[in-house]
Amino acid sequence: MRKRRKLLWQLFPSYFVITVVAIAATAWYASAILSEFYRSGAVAELKTQALMLERIVNGKLSQENSSQLDLLLKDLGTKTTSRWTVLLPSGNVIADSQEDPAKLGQRDHRPEIAEALAGRVGVATRHSYSLDVRMIYVAVPVKVNDQITGVVRAAMPFSTLSGSVRDVYAEGLIAGAFIIVVAIALSFFVSRRINTPLREMRAGVERFAVGDLHYRLAAAGSEDFAGLAEAMNSMASQLSARISKITQQRNELEAVLSSMVEAVLVIDSEERLLSVNHAAEVLFNISGERLNNRTVQEVIRNTELHRFVSRTLAGDLPVEGDLTCLGDPDKFLQAHGAILSDSQGRRAGAVVVLNDVSRLKTLENIRRDFVANVSHELKTPITSIQGFLETLREGAINDPATAGRFLDIIIKHTNRLSAIIEDLLSLSRIERDHEKGEITIQERPLKDVFEAAKKSCGERARQKDITLEFLVDDDLTARINPTLLEQAIVNLVDNSIKYSEPGNPVLVQACKGADEVVINITDKGCGISKEHLKRIFERFYRVDKARSRRVGGTGLGLAIVRHIVNAHNGRVTVQSSPGRGSTFSIHLPVSL
Amino acid sequence: MRVRLQKDIEKLKKQVIALATLVEERFRLAVKAIECRDAEMAMKVIQGDLDIDHLEVDLEEECLKILALHQPVADYLRYIVAVMKMNNDLERIGDLAVNIAERAEFMSRQDPIPIPFDYFTMAQKAGEMFQKSLDALVNRDVSLAYQVCAQDDDVDFMKTALQSQFAGEISKNPRNIDSMIALFLVSRHLERIADHATNIAEDVIYMITGEIHRHRTQDYEQTTQ
Repeated sequence: MRKRRKLLWQLFPSYFVITVVAIAATAWYASAILSEFYRSGAVAELKTQALMLERIVNGKLSQENSSQLDLLLKDLGTKTTSRWTVLLPSGNVIADSQEDPAKLGQRDHRPEIAEALAGRVGVATRHSYSLDVRMIYVAVPVKVNDQITGVVRAAMPFSTLSGSVRDVYAEGLIAGAFIIVVAIALSFFVSRRINTPLREMRAGVERFAVGDLHYRLAAAGSEDFAGLAEAMNSMASQLSARISKITQQRNELEAVLSSMVEAVLVIDSEERLLSVNHAAEVLFNISGERLNNRTVQEVIRNTELHRFVSRTLAGDLPVEGDLTCLGDPDKFLQAHGAILSDSQGRRAGAVVVLNDVSRLKTLENIRRDFVANVSHELKTPITSIQGFLETLREGAINDPATAGRFLDIIIKHTNRLSAIIEDLLSLSRIERDHEKGEITIQERPLKDVFEAAKKSCGERARQKDITLEFLVDDDLTARINPTLLEQAIVNLVDNSIKYSEPGNPVLVQACKGADEVVINITDKGCGISKEHLKRIFERFYRVDKARSRRVGGTGLGLAIVRHIVNAHNGRVTVQSSPGRGSTFSIHLPVSL
Repeated sequence: MRVRLQKDIEKLKKQVIALATLVEERFRLAVKAIECRDAEMAMKVIQGDLDIDHLEVDLEEECLKILALHQPVADYLRYIVAVMKMNNDLERIGDLAVNIAERAEFMSRQDPIPIPFDYFTMAQKAGEMFQKSLDALVNRDVSLAYQVCAQDDDVDFMKTALQSQFAGEISKNPRNIDSMIALFLVSRHLERIADHATNIAEDVIYMITGEIHRHRTQDYEQTTQ
């Protein structure tokens, strides 16, 4: 691009040219008037001389008087620069103040002489070949009784005239040059003066451009500049108001977006991520600052999401879909996508809102499994009881040995039913008491609870040849309800005994952490596979259906443990490795 | 012409990431199928392999098209060469995921066996390496790629350790020999996947620095020390 000239260098030369042209025009006009003035002065003087001469020569005009007149003219002409000539009407020169009349011959074709012969005063300016200078000629007729008897002509070289004109010119030129120099200097300063407020304005507008909208331009200089400055100032204040309004709206929008539980992704038509909200950053473990205009494929690696985004961008209507996010654990997302239009109504991208429904899905699974399991758990003993009772009625009652065995089985199953119902009742009791806040929790030593649990489980452990070890400091206390905590520990220890091979130890250990008391129950039993770990605290959840019924239990033990620990505002966790054993940990908070 | 090349490269980038994402998901699904003994999940992986193959062919054609049309140089050329090599590795990982899924499907029909804890560590490690190599590709992160290269040995050691565990387990419990062999094969597949992840990381290093890092682990260890 061509480099732009400064305003100074645009103004200044034009001023200069204008000045020079004005001076030159004035000078030309003045010189024209001056030379015309000189010429008319000269003509008037020549005319006076010619008329005076006419009076002298009047009546003496003839070829015979030629030499006499010539001598007279030469005598008169010695003291002046003028040249006089006397001609007869025929055009013959009879006397001349500077030349020999015989050499001059006929002069009647000269315009001034022709004019004089016609009876008027003739004036002409032309080059004289006889004297080789530019001359002014004035000719007057010599009249005797209205009869033209000759012509008297006075002439003067133009040079004497133009010499004085030239002097005037020279002085004018010097004065002009001086005026031009002054004008140059003046126009330079004037240009600068016009430029200065412009420069200040430019500096101010540049401050606007970098965002300093509270700066105000000084309304200095001419009305035009002051008006411009005011217009700029009002523009800046309007911009500032509008920007603060937009900022406020954006902040509101951002607050809304970031407080949303749903993840929101804004995507342009090239599938680039424009912005994401906080929930999306957490959900996909990404950083909103590091988007850098990257595509959704680069930032979030999830094929289903990619397909969903393409589907949203391809269609006109809002799109809905379910996505699965593989991970640990899997996440189930409900996605809603809608097209985003720009200010001209063209398609600019899409908004995708993702709702994490993993919890709902898990709860739904738990509920479904619970209903199936509870019916199964209750149905099995009842079917057995029903079957054996019917067999007894059919006649088995008459065989005392079989009847005794059947009744034992029936009793076993009714015991089981009653145990299940007992557990369900205690579960609901704990839940209800916890909700109502009726469970009393006090600072009590853990040792007493451990002793009680040891007593309850001792018999069962001895039967299976399992050594129980309880490790606790005598003075370790925690905020507990001793009866409920004992039940929880007994349940866990019972489980450990059930799933351990005879001869393996079970260790119960309590220790104090930074802000919680942890009770670990460790066994070297069969362990639990990874996929079951999250669900074993659900009611009636069975890892291995056949096996757990063989070893007994209601399927509610761990659920009760979890509810008891919840009632203590604690949490229960489990670590397990198949074949190596498991560790259940009860975490009880130290303070409220 | 430059602009068109840029556009084609953008498209290529999307394609390679789409393929990588799909392979990554299939791999995770396959590993999960082993853990959960889920035959349905395994079948999904086995049947989905065709998608990966199609994507691989598309990607290769796109690379060749760009090479023929634009004759790219410098950065672009390295990118395309790296993508072509990665393409093979990704497709191989996809195949290995299918192999794992086939083992999972087989194991789901057998008696459940206790899976050694180290297996999970190894699966997690291999997955992490694969994920890191893809992160390095997406973020053009050389240091992450170097990390992946350095982790390859860990997985190799894990495989050797698991191997001896399996041998002990089989002699103790010959009843579960089929499942044990299947799991042993899976551990080999995981190790291969880690190798391919390392290859991808090396391609990423080449793509960014122009240095061929392959077979130079020792140099790297020296420089890091």
